[in-house]
Amino acid sequence: MKHNKWLQRMQDEFAQAWVVATKDVRVYYLAPPMIMFGLLLPFFLFASFSIKREIGVEIGMARLLALTTFFTASSAGPVIIPMERRTGTYDRLLVAPMSEVTLLLGKTIVGAFFAVAVSLVPLVLGLLFLRTTVADSAWLAIGIVLASLVFSAFGLVFGSIPTSSATAVGSIMMPSTLVRWPLLFISGVFVPLAEMVPLMRIAAYLSPLTYAQDLINYAVLGVGYLNCWLDLLALWVFLVAFLLSVSCMHRRIRQLGY
Amino acid sequence: MNQAIEAENLTKVYGGSRTGTLAVDHISFEVRCGEVFGFLGPNGAGKTTTQRMLTSLLEPTSGRILVYGHDLARDAYPVKRQMGLVPEESNIYTELTAWDNLMFVAQLYRLPRAERARRVSEMLEVFGLAEQKNVKAQAFSKGMRRRLSIAMAIIHRPNLLFLDEPTPGLDAQSTRAIRDLVRQLSAQGTTIFLTTHQIEEANQLCDRVAIINHGQIVAIDTPEQLKAAFSRVQSVEVALQPASGSELAGGGGSQLSALAGVKKAVKMGDKWRLYTNDPATLLPLVISYAQNQGLRVVSLCTLGPSLEDVFLEITGQQMSTVPRRTQEDRSQAARRR
Repeated sequence: MKHNKWLQRMQDEFAQAWVVATKDVRVYYLAPPMIMFGLLLPFFLFASFSIKREIGVEIGMARLLALTTFFTASSAGPVIIPMERRTGTYDRLLVAPMSEVTLLLGKTIVGAFFAVAVSLVPLVLGLLFLRTTVADSAWLAIGIVLASLVFSAFGLVFGSIPTSSATAVGSIMMPSTLVRWPLLFISGVFVPLAEMVPLMRIAAYLSPLTYAQDLINYAVLGVGYLNCWLDLLALWVFLVAFLLSVSCMHRRIRQLGY
Repeated sequence: MNQAIEAENLTKVYGGSRTGTLAVDHISFEVRCGEVFGFLGPNGAGKTTTQRMLTSLLEPTSGRILVYGHDLARDAYPVKRQMGLVPEESNIYTELTAWDNLMFVAQLYRLPRAERARRVSEMLEVFGLAEQKNVKAQAFSKGMRRRLSIAMAIIHRPNLLFLDEPTPGLDAQSTRAIRDLVRQLSAQGTTIFLTTHQIEEANQLCDRVAIINHGQIVAIDTPEQLKAAFSRVQSVEVALQPASGSELAGGGGSQLSALAGVKKAVKMGDKWRLYTNDPATLLPLVISYAQNQGLRVVSLCTLGPSLEDVFLEITGQQMSTVPRRTQEDRSQAARRR
């Protein structure tokens, strides 16, 4: 009997996470910051660092996929949570009969959904028109989905910062941009890990983008700097760490009353 | 189970327990099952803070909240299933249609699949939104948004409904519709926790009211009992009309407030309300004043304390009163002339 109740609860919670995620996708896919930071920025970045640099199509594709998942997935959290807090719709979710983990899972799925959808565009175009090859499509799928989830949870960290100005998208975007941009340059996206000086490489190991880029490199090019299983493990650790941090921040928000 | 809510020593300090601001100060109260409980207080008294603690949106600094016997801090899940919240600002998704907003909540509260569409249609009908069901809520008026917000809060038929300032800023029709709905829900057995600073609304709707001021509950009882406890707050209400060609100097307020026994005079539309401990003595004085000034008495009556009087008496809030002018004031005015 108790077992059945537990199963029913789990079923309810997963369904609720999905309901939250699908609602967010419908409500926020046209939000200006999402379009700017999630869709356009990765393409501009890729172009500015790749045009006339004579990198191979596959290397370019691996970079673009990592950039897209990183920027698109991590853009959702800093946009959606402050907007929902400002309009009071976040309170509606908090008083609903579901755990905070479920709510956070739903919000994480949203960012991941956007990132996977946006990543598919260059991938399909590359495969169809540039004759890009993918060394291991299964690892690529795992890499993109997992990286999207990690970066989406990373975005939630910024959206959940317990400050009195946490309802303004602009004030959340600043710390988010300040942290996300430097990560680009220390995570093996533009400077490969193998070419980094040792100190920089140590810094690279602290960035989740490093493992995502390395895993995507492995999937597209067939070679990664690190073992692909290590990349996978590191991404899971980051996912759990980010979600725990967000949960702690939410608790703090409830204490402070922001 | 007789109590829907039991709050014990509830305290909230913003910004650290030692140096912070004390918003709610060790309040204790119960809300009985099925009653409409009004939570009254001036702005900044701690009403919304209390309500946010009762709905688990805010963690109390200390104290305990039991909802239907469940400790909210430890066992919120079963409580949340029975609870509905209508915050002060209508929290709807303006990018979605009325139908989609309601369907989202129906799914969130895990209503059976077969029942969702029926319940959504029912809510749209009840709240007069059926014709706009496919219109995005961003095109809705304030009253329509409010109605949609309430519909979203009760679609799962909660036993306990929190309403935070449900009617300010609405037209008379929407206000009446919402008040009728509160009565209807109450008749069906829903417990309602109504946070408001509209005293007449509390007077009309609530079985009991609590008055909170500076974070403390200063009175808690039925509206009629509260009024009876403040029988000293009596008044004489008079409407005077000047004779043709003459004017009621200064609106008459300063002269009326100077009558013996008048504690204060408050202008209410075309009438004056004169607060006094002894209406019987004041009545002939008012008539005599009118005769002396050549004024016609349009209406004259004595009033017991209203809930608003009780509220003002307890919280010390001032309305647009005409204070009794002192001798010094009069001398200064004479010198200016």
